Parts: sequence; structure tokens; C-alpha cells
Amino acid sequence: MKGIFSVLVENRDGVLSSISGLFARRGFNIDSLAVGETDNHEISSMTIISTGDQRTIDQIEKQLNKKVNVIRVRRLNEAKSICLEMMLVKVAYNASNRSQLIELCQITGAKIMKVMPKHLLLEYHADPEGVEDFIQMLKSYGISEIQRTGPIALEKY
Amino acid sequence: MTGAQAMIECLMKEGITKVFGYPGVAIAPFYEGLYNSDIEHILVRQEQNAGHAASGYSRISGKPAVCVVTSGPGATNLITALATAYADSIPVIAISGQVSSELLGRDVFQEADMRGATESFVKHSYLVKDPDDIPRVFREAFYIASTGRKGPVLIDIPMDVQMRELRKPFEYPETLQIRGYKPEVRVNMNQMRRVVNALNQAKKPLVCAGGGVILGGGQQIVREFCEKYNIPMVHTMMGMGVIPKKHPLNFGMLGNNGKPYANKAVSRSDLLIIVGARLADRAIPKPENLEKRVAVIHIDIDTAEIGKNMGPNIPLVGDVRDVFEELIKQDIKAADLSWAAELEEIKHGTVDRRVFDDTFINPNTLVQTLSAKMEDDAVYVADVGQNQLWSADNYVMKEGRFLTTGGMGTMGYSIPAAIGAKFCSPERQTVAVCGDGAFQMCMNELATLRENNLDIKVMIVRNGYLGLVREYQEKNYDSHYEGVRLGNWPAYDKIAEAYDMPYFNCSSNEELDEAIDRFLNCDGACLMVCDIASENSVK
Repeated sequence: MKGIFSVLVENRDGVLSSISGLFARRGFNIDSLAVGETDNHEISSMTIISTGDQRTIDQIEKQLNKKVNVIRVRRLNEAKSICLEMMLVKVAYNASNRSQLIELCQITGAKIMKVMPKHLLLEYHADPEGVEDFIQMLKSYGISEIQRTGPIALEKY
Repeated sequence: MTGAQAMIECLMKEGITKVFGYPGVAIAPFYEGLYNSDIEHILVRQEQNAGHAASGYSRISGKPAVCVVTSGPGATNLITALATAYADSIPVIAISGQVSSELLGRDVFQEADMRGATESFVKHSYLVKDPDDIPRVFREAFYIASTGRKGPVLIDIPMDVQMRELRKPFEYPETLQIRGYKPEVRVNMNQMRRVVNALNQAKKPLVCAGGGVILGGGQQIVREFCEKYNIPMVHTMMGMGVIPKKHPLNFGMLGNNGKPYANKAVSRSDLLIIVGARLADRAIPKPENLEKRVAVIHIDIDTAEIGKNMGPNIPLVGDVRDVFEELIKQDIKAADLSWAAELEEIKHGTVDRRVFDDTFINPNTLVQTLSAKMEDDAVYVADVGQNQLWSADNYVMKEGRFLTTGGMGTMGYSIPAAIGAKFCSPERQTVAVCGDGAFQMCMNELATLRENNLDIKVMIVRNGYLGLVREYQEKNYDSHYEGVRLGNWPAYDKIAEAYDMPYFNCSSNEELDEAIDRFLNCDGACLMVCDIASENSVK
């Protein structure tokens, strides 16, 4: 099963390595991890996605809670949350497929951030599955470089 | 006021009168502070032992104890002791000197990333970069170490931070604000009702007490609870001391090194009440089988312990004393006396089929005789190896303490931990028991023991081998003994002479009784070697 954790942590040095170290040491998977400051610059927010059986997911929550630098752990229900991921991608084009690619961007809502002689730099955000689908669509054009933020999530209620 | 002076001030505020340590340049400013203070520094002979001594001290005082080391190798030497304290949930405050802040990360002389290196062996750690943070950090460290599930906390302090002046006047914070740490848990009354219901329905309830009961100071109340409702008790190795050996409700230590009748009690019970135990593989080898058969109540201060190794039917998070003080007030039907009688019958019917080589001393008789002769409130520190398992198996627990490292199993724990225990409680009889392997890992501490004139009796159970590994190789590798022979070294009488200690040797069951009398009644510290045959096994 998948576990989506929204974790508030103290924004101090060593906290990120302490959290990621916890996963490594106890053999928990990290599928993705996104970190950023909250409105309070002393507090950061992490979205951690992991997979494992029920006991593992329960343990992750408990072990995270044990960390002194962890302020709050929330387990998000996927169906009740908005989960978004952003990516930047450089896609190759040529004279024959350029308009097709631009059209694809229009349909999917991907933004063209920069037009280069042989590449387009696109920005795209969607739920993680949508990002995955979009990457598949771009593959036939040729992806030269890709950066993903990893998903961030908030509950809808 | 300098950072170092502030550190001393903080320790005084915490009531610390003794620290165990080993100096070096990176911690020298703090030592200058010690020089000018009333805090006594006890010089150990290797940093690891400063940690073990603090552990021994803390286990007797019930409060955090302090060890101090320098940067680099001094600090890394301490890591094993921190891991040991962490596994056994002992509140140790470790202060390590660090290279100056401006040099951090440049791999200069004696630099080691202690925070990174100890991440998984401490409850929490600090790298102090501003002397004005010292009061807050120390206050937090002592609080974190000694509350909730206890454990070691590391404070790594660069040399320049120790030397710099505080900009603000020193003020030890009275209140604490740690956003992510709320150790006080109110007992959940809904869960409590479920526990009471389960107890009322159970015909064969059994308490399994772990080290957490002792750490939480719950021996008395748990014992009263069992007595009030006729509930038999088994315990883990770390739970030794919750109940005296002779108590009619005590059915011994469980696990693959425990008593067969204790394990039978577990399998016959219909409700297992686990208190302050993590139930690692040594205690319950196959928890998944057990949880299918019996209902399990798991009471622990640490939420993460519940369900880690075993899935309980009823989890109850809380301090052992709070929980049992509440439980004892509840309307619970006492268990039928036939249940304890059934276990008593099993206990009496259990025949010990192990055969011991009596060429020299029978190790079981040794521990039984020694512990029976010890004072009621004595402190017995068992090292690691066969000697630990024989000790745990045969120890005649009265109202004293049995200290050992059950979680990490660190060889060389006994002598330094006994030193710490003795410093805390000089009037209590203190005995360290180790094998000839473990002794050689900590015999340098005989100097600390002698230098401080500590009356600690050191017993070496000698079989010329790393016995537990030898036994393992015998059973699993067709007696292919590799790397386990210690031979006849050192000459223990000469070691005793070198440290100016009386020396006794005993190598037969006939002489044992008298030899132990001489050993225990000796004036001051002494060393005794008890010879046992190498062929003896634990199982």
C-alpha cells in the first residue's frame, strides 16, 4: 500500500538527513520526498510518499513522530487529498513535428517556458500519474533533460 | 561568562556532581571550567567506558548521568556506549568537544561528524554553534533524555563555542518549548476499559515485564497489581528485578535463553500483558505465531514499540506507573488461583536436562551461590556472553539490581558500569561478573577502580574461550572452532598484582562456597577467577 505523509519539521540543519536516515536505517522505502519552508520560516513542510505493508506504513508514522525535530505527522488519504507534482523538461523538436508538439502542450496545459534552437523547455504540473503519462507522450520526441519536484499534497477538507 | 562556564553552570543546575570522561584539546576549555567547579571528574581509561560508567550511574540514580569526551577518535570511541545506552533506553548525556566552528567540514585534525555518526544511536543530538544556545540546549537535552522513553542525548560543542563569551546574561530556562516533543501521555480511558474487559474475560492472564517497568519506576505497582489479581509474571532479561526470584507469582525469564517453564506459561496463557518490553527475537523468536494464539495487551510509553515486533489486540500507551495506578483502582475479577497453581506444577515438573561438566566449577552453581550470598540490595553487573546467560538464568534476585546490556549485548560493559553504579551508591555491595573475553575488553578500567578506591568485586568466569561463539560454532558449524580460543592469557594473578588487588582463584565445586565467602568479605576491591570447563554450554 501507499502512504502519503505530510510532515511538519523544524527548519534546522541536520533535520532532512535525520528524516531520510530514518528511512534508510529501518529499511523503509522513500518513493518521493519534497521539502519546502512554510509561512513560518522556522518550520518546513515535507511530503513523503512511501510504499509498504500496513505494519510498515504504521511504523513509519510512529517512528517519524518519535523524532524530536518532527512537529506533526499526518497521513493523507489519497482520495481526499490534492496531490500535485511539477516538472521541467527539455524536449527535442524538428521542423516536421514542432507544431504537433506545440499542439500537445496546448491540449495538456503544459507551458512553453523557453524556445531553443533544437529544444523546447516545458513546465508541466499534474497529479503524479498525469506527469507520468505526459512523460510517456513526450518520449517519442526525445527528452534530453528532466527535473521533477516530487509530489506535494494537502488534504481537501 | 564563557560557553564552557555556561556548560558547567547548566550541569550544576541539573544537579550533576560527577562526570565520567577523557579529555583532549577540543574539550579543554570545558575541563578548565571543571577545574574551577565543584563537579568531580572521573578519568576513565578509554572513552567507551565513560559512556558505560554514566550508564551504570544512571541506572542506579534513575536520572541522567554525564560523560565527556574530546573530538574525533575520542568521540567515535564513545559511539558503542551510546548505542548500548540507546538499546537499553538509558538516559546518558554525552558531551563531545568538536573542532572550531570555522573549521567544521574541512577534515582537520581530530574532526569527526558526531551528529551524523550517532544519528541512529541517540534519542536526539545537538551541534551547538552559538554559546547563547547552551542553556537551552542543556535544558532540552536533560529533559529529552529523562522523559518519555529514556535514552542518550549527544551535545557536540565546537571549541570556539566553549571559549566565546555569551552575549546575553546566563539564564537557565525554566520552561521548555520543544514543538515536536510531547512525552507526557494521558492514559486513554477507552483503551483502559478495553484492558479491563479483557482482564475480566481472561482465565489465564500473564504479565510479561520488561526493562521499561524498572526505567519507569513501576516495580512496586506492577507487583502489587499481580498480587491483587493473582496474575503470574514472567520477565525479559532487562526486566530482571521487577519481582524477586522467590515470589510465588514469578515464573522466570522467558525467551530462548530463559526458563522453559516461563515459555510454557506464555503458550498456556490466554491473555498476555506485555509491559515495557520490545519483545525482540531473543525474548519471543516467532511473535507472529504467538499473536495468533493469545490475546495481547501491550503497554508501553513508546507508541512506536507497540506493533513493531508483535501486533497487539489492545495497545495502551502510557507511563507504567500511571497505567498501573489506574488499573489497580479498576473493578477487575481476580484470576482463579488454579492458574498460578498450574504454572507452579509445570515449574516443579520441569527437569533441567542440561549436563554440565563438573571438572571445574558448575557455572549454574557458581551464580546461584554467589547471588544467594550477596546482600539483599546488592548490584550485580553481568557482562555479555555465556556468563550473562548463566547469570540471568541462575541469579537469585532479592531486592537488588541486575545490570546488563540486554539490547546491544556489548562486551566489556561490566567493570565500567559497576564503577558508575558504585559512584552513585557507594554503600551498596557491587559485583561485576564477566567472562575472560569481556574482561580483556575492559580490564584497563581496573585502574579507574583502584585510583578511586572503589570497593567493587570483580569475578572472571574463565573457560579460555569466547564461550558463546564457541558454543554456536559447536552446534551450527560442526565444532569448527575458529577465532574463539583465548588460551591462558593473561596471568590473572599478575594482573591483580599489577593493580595491587587481592586475588583469588577457585576451580572446584567443593571449594566454591568458601571461596565466594572470601571474595565477598574481602576488604575493598578484589579479583577472583573461577575456572569452568570450556565444554559447558548455555543450552
